[in-house]
Amino acid sequence: MYCVKCGVRLHDGVERCPLCQTPVWNPDGAEPAHRSFSAVYPEEENRRRYPILAFLTAILIAVDLALLIFCLRIYGKVAWSGYVMLATAVVYLIVFLPLWINKPHPLVFVPLSFAVVGGYLLYICLVTGGHWFLPFAFPVVLIIGLITTAAVACYRYLRHGKLFVTGGLFLAIGGAAMLIEMFEAIAFGTRMWTWSLYVVAGFATVGIFLLLAGIIRPLREYLEKKFFL
Amino acid sequence: MAKTWMRLDNAALIFPATRKSKWVNCFRVSATLREAVDPALLQQAVNDLKPRFPSMFVRLRKGVFWYYLEQIDTPPMVHQDYAFPLPHMGAQEIGTCCLRVLYFENRIGVEFFHALTDGTGGMIFLKTLTARYLELAHDIRIPATDGILDRTEAPQPEELEDSFQRYASKYPLRIKENEVKHFGGTRTPGFQFLTTGILPTDQLVKAAHRYDATVTAFLAAVMAQVLLEKQALEEPRLSLQKPIQICIPVNLRKLYGSRTLRNFALTVYPGVDPRLGSYTLEELCKAVTSQLAAEVTPQKMAGRMAPNVNPANNPLIRAAPLFIKNIVMQLVYNVRGENFGCLNVSNLGRQTLPENMAPFVERLEFIIGVQQTYSNNCSVASFGETTCVNMIRNIRESDIERRFFSRLVELGVPVSIESNECNYRAQ
Repeated sequence: MYCVKCGVRLHDGVERCPLCQTPVWNPDGAEPAHRSFSAVYPEEENRRRYPILAFLTAILIAVDLALLIFCLRIYGKVAWSGYVMLATAVVYLIVFLPLWINKPHPLVFVPLSFAVVGGYLLYICLVTGGHWFLPFAFPVVLIIGLITTAAVACYRYLRHGKLFVTGGLFLAIGGAAMLIEMFEAIAFGTRMWTWSLYVVAGFATVGIFLLLAGIIRPLREYLEKKFFL
Repeated sequence: MAKTWMRLDNAALIFPATRKSKWVNCFRVSATLREAVDPALLQQAVNDLKPRFPSMFVRLRKGVFWYYLEQIDTPPMVHQDYAFPLPHMGAQEIGTCCLRVLYFENRIGVEFFHALTDGTGGMIFLKTLTARYLELAHDIRIPATDGILDRTEAPQPEELEDSFQRYASKYPLRIKENEVKHFGGTRTPGFQFLTTGILPTDQLVKAAHRYDATVTAFLAAVMAQVLLEKQALEEPRLSLQKPIQICIPVNLRKLYGSRTLRNFALTVYPGVDPRLGSYTLEELCKAVTSQLAAEVTPQKMAGRMAPNVNPANNPLIRAAPLFIKNIVMQLVYNVRGENFGCLNVSNLGRQTLPENMAPFVERLEFIIGVQQTYSNNCSVASFGETTCVNMIRNIRESDIERRFFSRLVELGVPVSIESNECNYRAQ
C-alpha cells in the first residue's frame, strides 16, 4: 500500500500514513497492523525516594512527639511545642507531601501551601491573643497566594507569551507591595508609602522592560540567546 | 590484577556533565534477523562477550575530579524492547550499567550511553554480539571479519585508547560557526516517535551520484532543502531567517587508521544561509560536498580536536573539583554545544557481514537520540540492498520527515515507511 499524499510505501494494516495522517484505504479489508516496537513502556526510575520519605516522615513524627511529651511533663500544657509541631506540619505539607505523588499538580499544591501557611498564622494569632490575622495576615497571604497561583497557571498552560507573564508578574508584585503596606497601616497604624514605593519602582522597571522585550522581537531574541539555560 | 576502571575519552567528558533528569545523550544500534530472537541464547551471547569488551560492560562512577568508567562484574540482563527507542537512561541505570541489550521479535538492539562509544564502536559490538548469538543458535563458526571481533582474543590496547589524545594537534583550529535555526514543536514527554524509511541502497546511491554527491552529502542536502522550505513557511521575512546547517558526525578512525572502540568522531556543519538567495538541490549538494571535502582532512580534524583536548590536559583545569567542571561544561554546552546544527544526519555507512552470517540478517539499523535543544534527528545505516533512514523526534509534528521522505520519493528513491506511532499515548 502507498500513501496517496506522500508517495511512500506503507505496511499492510496501517490505518493512516504515519507521516501525513492521510487515511489509508485497504481494498482487501483490515489486516492486523505490523508493530515495529513492543507495547511495553519503561518504568520510571523514581521509586527509590519512597523509603527515604518514609524515614524522614517517621523522624519528624518522632521529634514532634518527643517535644509534645517534654512540654506536657514540664509545663502541663502544649506550650511552645504547638508552634514547632505545626511548623513541621507546614513544612511537611509544602515540601514532602508533593514528593509522595508522582506528578503533583502545582495548581493543587500551590494554593494548598498558602492555605497551610494561613492556617499556621491563624493558630499563632489565636494562641498569642493577637488581632492582626484578619486585618493583615489573611489579606497578605491571600494576595501572595493569588499572584503565585496565577503565575504558575500561566507558566503551565500558556505556550507563548512567557515574557508577558513574567513582566505582568513583576508589575503584580509591585502592586501587591502597595497593598501590603496599606494593610500594614490599617492593622498597625504605621505610615503609608514608607517602603512600598521603592519596591514598586524596582519591580515595575523590570516588568516594563520584560513587556517591551516581549513586544520587540530582536531584543527578545538577544535576551533568549544570552540567557538560555 | 588488571585495571578495572578507565578514564572517559575526551569526547565522552561532556556527556555525563550535560545529562539532565529528562535528557541524556544515547544512541542505539540494532540487527533484525530473519528468525525470532531467543532471549536465553542472547543472554548467553552477552555473557560470552564480556571479557572481550571491557570498555562496554561498565558503569559510570564519580571521582573527586573526573567521572570514570568502572567495569561491572555481571553483564546486564537482556530484556524486551520498549514501546519506543532510547527511553531515558537515568542516573541509577547509568550507575549500574551504561548499555542495554534488548530484543523484540526478530530484532536485537543495543542502546549505549554515549560516553562509552560512538556509532562505529557500537556497531562493532552489535555485529560481534549478533555473530555470537548466531553461533550459539545454529552451531556455526563465524569468522572475525567485517567489523566482528574474535571473542576468544584478549582486548587490544589500541581498542581501549583515547584516540583524541593521540591524534589531536597542539594548535587549535578556530572556526566561526553560524548560529542556526532550531525547529521545535509540541513535546511528547516520555515518548519518542521513530519513523524508519527503508530505501533500496542502489537507487539511493544512483540518485546521489546524479548530483555528484556521496549518500551522506545527498541526504544532508535533501534535509537542508526541507528545512529551508520549512523555515520559509514559518518565517516568510527573509531578514529574520537563519542559516540552515546540518550536523554531520565524521568517523575519524578511517582518517587516522585508529582501531579504538571508544568515541572517536567529530562533527562538521555544512550548510547555507537563505538570506543570500535560494538554492536548488544541485546547489545544495555541491555546497555540502565541497564543505565536507574542505573540512574532513586529517590536518583540519586534528586542529578541531585541539580546543577540546587542550583544556582537558591543562593542570589547573584537571585539578578543579568535578562539580565545578560540571557547571562549566554545562554552560559551555548550552552556549556552544547545539547551536550550530539544525539537526544531525549521522550515517554509519554501508555495513558488511561475513558470508555465512549475512543470510541470517535482514537489516542493520542505527538510531541516535534527540538533542537537548532540538527535537528531530536522522541516522542512517545500510546493509545489503537496504538502507534504513531512522528519523526520531520527541514532538508530535511529523512535517520534517514527511517532507524529507516525500522529497526522496520525488527524486526517484522509493521509500517504505515503518513507525511506532501506534504506541503513542498522550501522557
